[in-house]
Amino acid sequence: MTVLNELSNAMANAVETVGASLVRVEGRKRMSATGVVWNSDGVIVTASHVVTRDEELHIGLPNGETVTASLVGRDPTTDVAVLRTDAKNLSVPHWAGGDGLKVGHLVLALGRPGQNVLATLGVVSSIAEEWHTPAGGKIDYYLQTDVTMYPGFSGGPLVGVGGEIYGINSSTLLRGVSVTIPTTTIAPIVETLLKHGKLRRGYLGVGSQPVRLPAALEQQLGQETGLLLVAVEPNSPAEKGGLMLGDVIVALDGHPVRVPDELLAGLTGEKVGKDAKLKLVRGGQLLELNVTVGERQ
Amino acid sequence: MGIAAAEFESVAEVEIGVPDRLRQLNDDISGAIDRAYQALVQITNGERSIGAGTIWHPAGLILTNAHVVRDETPNVTLNDGRSFPAQVLYYNAELDLAALNIEATDLPTIEPGDSKELKPGEWVMALGHPWGIRNAVSGGIVIGMGAEMPDIPFSSREWVVVSLHMRPGHSGGPLIDTAGRLVGINTMISGPDVGVAIPVHVVKKFLKDSMA
Repeated sequence: MTVLNELSNAMANAVETVGASLVRVEGRKRMSATGVVWNSDGVIVTASHVVTRDEELHIGLPNGETVTASLVGRDPTTDVAVLRTDAKNLSVPHWAGGDGLKVGHLVLALGRPGQNVLATLGVVSSIAEEWHTPAGGKIDYYLQTDVTMYPGFSGGPLVGVGGEIYGINSSTLLRGVSVTIPTTTIAPIVETLLKHGKLRRGYLGVGSQPVRLPAALEQQLGQETGLLLVAVEPNSPAEKGGLMLGDVIVALDGHPVRVPDELLAGLTGEKVGKDAKLKLVRGGQLLELNVTVGERQ
Repeated sequence: MGIAAAEFESVAEVEIGVPDRLRQLNDDISGAIDRAYQALVQITNGERSIGAGTIWHPAGLILTNAHVVRDETPNVTLNDGRSFPAQVLYYNAELDLAALNIEATDLPTIEPGDSKELKPGEWVMALGHPWGIRNAVSGGIVIGMGAEMPDIPFSSREWVVVSLHMRPGHSGGPLIDTAGRLVGINTMISGPDVGVAIPVHVVKKFLKDSMA
């Protein structure tokens, strides 16, 4: 057998193996998308943006059967949704962490928007450190590929040539590039959603917009902008903590806050009920306030 | 001052630490293409519209897409440079297939593969003359078989859908597998990154039905 033939067979085998764990997700008006079996209890992982409704969800199984599914929960900030079906004997794939994955490695993106498994090939374009999505979700490591995300591929897996799954692909987390939500990010989200049905998010109760800092402060803090408070909700954690209209937030727990996304990203679930240290500018002076973070409903 | 070409070693002589198996991979690819090239032809209609065709039988039977054939006597140019006026034997616009005949013998052909056994993830290559560029190759994998791909026209028919760049001028050319066997006739594009080919088993049926 030629090496080319060997490679080709390995890819086709990976598609076949993982394909047994791929389902069609019918959760939006537009075309169906893809989901991946998470465990043998009928838990399915998919992309949040392809499940636009919370009810009347259906799952197309590899054997051609269509079954109903319920929404366990979703995290729009990382584009992960978790569904559950009563279907038994689903094939659980090999979910893998990113150790050993390198830029340049061949990877397959799979989808099942219809009856059959579809595949496409690409290479890992970039692997980088932890990042925050524009919506404020925390992703363990940045994983970008050059795979073409065909319609209905969102929620489908990124697969190594050995058939291991590095995460699920999303075409909407960042516009114009194929980004994968790593298995290591998905796992704790699934666990939390199965336990609580939702992810906890911190809440202050402020409306804000970025403003340019005076030159002296810019130099002192090493940042160009802060967040001007244009609204403080009555009885909110922010008001109780002493925040006022016109304050400019420049840091949260030691991390610079320059744009609203950075404030959102900093208000993680584990801060709920705890004191957060806010650094702000009031009347031209820097000051620090402790605010007890509430929970976003 | 210029640098004489002789000062450069050829790529084959430079040891850059590429594993033997990867060299072998490149050789496997070029080997499959070299054989398939011999059966790739150019089809022209008057001055315009350069398409591709695939030699099916040594006695001068050429397969192409119906949409490539615009004249009653299209011209077929072989890869050895010889050119022939062709007679249109069979033409089926619905299947988008045509069979031409030229007055030639002992032509090189490509062994047909089993397109019913093609699987998503398998490596394939498309040969043709995209935008009129002669004998170009693009490679990719099978996305899927059948007609399930979203956005594909004529979805009631059988297709080989591939993730490679197919362009005008690929039409009628061969789609080959890793062993260099003919698995399809390149037919159209569906979006920038999806190529669509007619599986070789559909071509066989077309010929059988036409001859009967």
